[in-house]
Amino acid sequence: MGLITRLAARRTAVLVAEVPGWGYTRCTLEQRVRSRGWRLADSPADADLLVVCGEPGPRFAAAVELVWAQLPGPRSRVQALDPADVAAALDAAAGQLADEATQRQDAQDRPAGPAQGVPATDTSVGTDDAPGDGGADADARPPAWDDPHPGAVHEGEQGHHDTDPTQEHGDMDHGDMDHGDMDHGDMDHGDMDHGDMDHGDMDHGDMDHGDMDMPMPGGIPLAGGGGADQLPDPDQLDLDVLHVPLGPVLPHWPAGLLLHTTLQGELVVAARAEVLEAARTPPAGGSLHGTTAGRWDAAATLLAVAGWSDAATAAVRLRDAALTGPVPEREAQRLARRVRRSRLLRWSLRGVGVLPEGDAADRLGHWLSGSAHGAPITLTELADLVTGLDLATVRLVVASLDLDTSVREPVEVGAA
Amino acid sequence: MTVTQVSAGWVPLAAALLLTVATAAAALDGVLAARSAGRPLSGGLLTPAAETARLFRQRRRTTIAADLPLQRIGGAGLLTAALLMVVVVPFGRWTVADMAVGVVWFNALDVLLWAALWLAGWGPNSVHPLVAGHRFLAQALSYELPLMFALTTPAVAAGSLRLGDLVAAQAGLWFMVWMPVAFVVFCAGVVAFSAWGPFSAALGSGAAGGVLAESAGVDRWLVTAGRYALLTAGSAFGVTAFLGGGHGPLLPAWLWVLVKTSLLLAVLVALRRRLPVVRPERLAVPAWLVVLPLVLLQLLVVSVVVVARG
Repeated sequence: MGLITRLAARRTAVLVAEVPGWGYTRCTLEQRVRSRGWRLADSPADADLLVVCGEPGPRFAAAVELVWAQLPGPRSRVQALDPADVAAALDAAAGQLADEATQRQDAQDRPAGPAQGVPATDTSVGTDDAPGDGGADADARPPAWDDPHPGAVHEGEQGHHDTDPTQEHGDMDHGDMDHGDMDHGDMDHGDMDHGDMDHGDMDHGDMDHGDMDMPMPGGIPLAGGGGADQLPDPDQLDLDVLHVPLGPVLPHWPAGLLLHTTLQGELVVAARAEVLEAARTPPAGGSLHGTTAGRWDAAATLLAVAGWSDAATAAVRLRDAALTGPVPEREAQRLARRVRRSRLLRWSLRGVGVLPEGDAADRLGHWLSGSAHGAPITLTELADLVTGLDLATVRLVVASLDLDTSVREPVEVGAA
Repeated sequence: MTVTQVSAGWVPLAAALLLTVATAAAALDGVLAARSAGRPLSGGLLTPAAETARLFRQRRRTTIAADLPLQRIGGAGLLTAALLMVVVVPFGRWTVADMAVGVVWFNALDVLLWAALWLAGWGPNSVHPLVAGHRFLAQALSYELPLMFALTTPAVAAGSLRLGDLVAAQAGLWFMVWMPVAFVVFCAGVVAFSAWGPFSAALGSGAAGGVLAESAGVDRWLVTAGRYALLTAGSAFGVTAFLGGGHGPLLPAWLWVLVKTSLLLAVLVALRRRLPVVRPERLAVPAWLVVLPLVLLQLLVVSVVVVARG
């Protein structure tokens, strides 16, 4: 193993895909990653290693495939189904990453060019999607903001999609697929999390109006107004309408949450939330939520999204301590004091995600002090709460709710 | 102390020096991160080497319909701007370019970063980088004017835009002592144009890595290294403009510059541990209503003193 490989292995970046119900496995994973001196990745492009915690259902698995295709490589992918599996999984991954012959082979076998997209073995995506199917599906489905029971998507939509495996991807890729523009092979490879979803515009402008003179770089028409999707913009700007799914594989994000957003500029003008489920019932042992460890986990997530990595690390260490024994009281108090004293943080969180019992800053305060509070929030309410906000604020709001996606709604907010 | 312009042959050495100090800054950040994670500090020290190895071993990555030329111009822009910034900073008795408009040169380059970060976000044709690029612009609208007036203050006091003259004017008293507001605002400006610490909204975890969300391999390395280089160049300029440059007892002038730059840089690097990210949309109001008037007042006070002294 060369010096470069050995050095690189010290900073392996890990992207975690947490299936709802496998919170303990994810926490153990994060702990192991830290103790190896590795770090968590911010996005697929940043990652060397993809770890799937739990057994994803078909739609979640398809999302994981898309994310996997976006890892730049050298890359490795492992699965951990139990906290006890984690160490062995990481050892295996480290071995794969250092195996230069395998990595070379992987690099050669992957499609070149930007649409690295979906591995050839995954036949359910791409050309199999007959145009007719996509179109029919699109017509049958009401737009997100008309959906009378967005929360019900949870069960209902899952079933609907399960009837036809090819449609799962229609939902993943949202915008483009729904509207039946199936000619552009690349389109399917859109970036789930990061909104190469610009292609969502496909449906609006050119295709529908038969205006084929416009240049279409990469098979994507130039951005234009949103047509039927366009909603009045608060700034009176006629901005592009993009359909961007947030999640389900996104760091510091509730497990399995898929938030379909319609963006105008950076504003979310419409949203619909659903949870991509596990393939089977998660292992016994209960949920992380509502426990002391869950409290610190929620605080760590919010601190990380608020851009205070140092305090987030401190909270994560307290969480890990809580998983194995009592929380060191002195450290817990020191962190709580430090966070509470930060005017900058309070100023950032004040007025974010306001619910009847308080805003994000209040909820963080509750997690830090361990005081009980809790109010149910449904996925519908979540979608309403984030509508009208900009992307960064949406991230703060979602992180401040500490959604427990492993239970059926109504979802409890905060520590119980 | 007079400053002489060295021949162009020394340019690679100046660049190597900048990158060395920037690497030390990255190592310091690694050590601080290791400490907060409860890991051995020696491991953190190797962070820049390990991250460089990792990224040089990684494949580059493109997205669908990416604007590659602009993305790469933007990505390389940070390191380029940092290298160009230090050419006017005197290293003791020597400088690479003894420009009569050194202060303006520095200012022009920091404005160039607006374009660099925005282009790096625009290029990938992806939502997170694009939004983050615009968020950087929103932040720039808040920090740029205060930074400009903070830069003007020492120039007014020295009656020159040449950095050598700025250093000479601080022979008796460092500018930091009688223009503290300008110094603090300048440091905040450096942190902001490096998209670092409290001003790193454009590259934060909360935005899936922001501008860097789609970048891998050497593209990511250039931006990451560029940020440390910018912090370093900004510190070196700050030392020259506010902390007396090479002035100091016993040690040779060049060593004083190096020591002061390292100290200021260490403070700026450590700032990241202490503070959460400031949201750009909330920054505008205090920046324009509080910071800008304060720094203008500072400029007025300095100007009055200069006139009174004749």
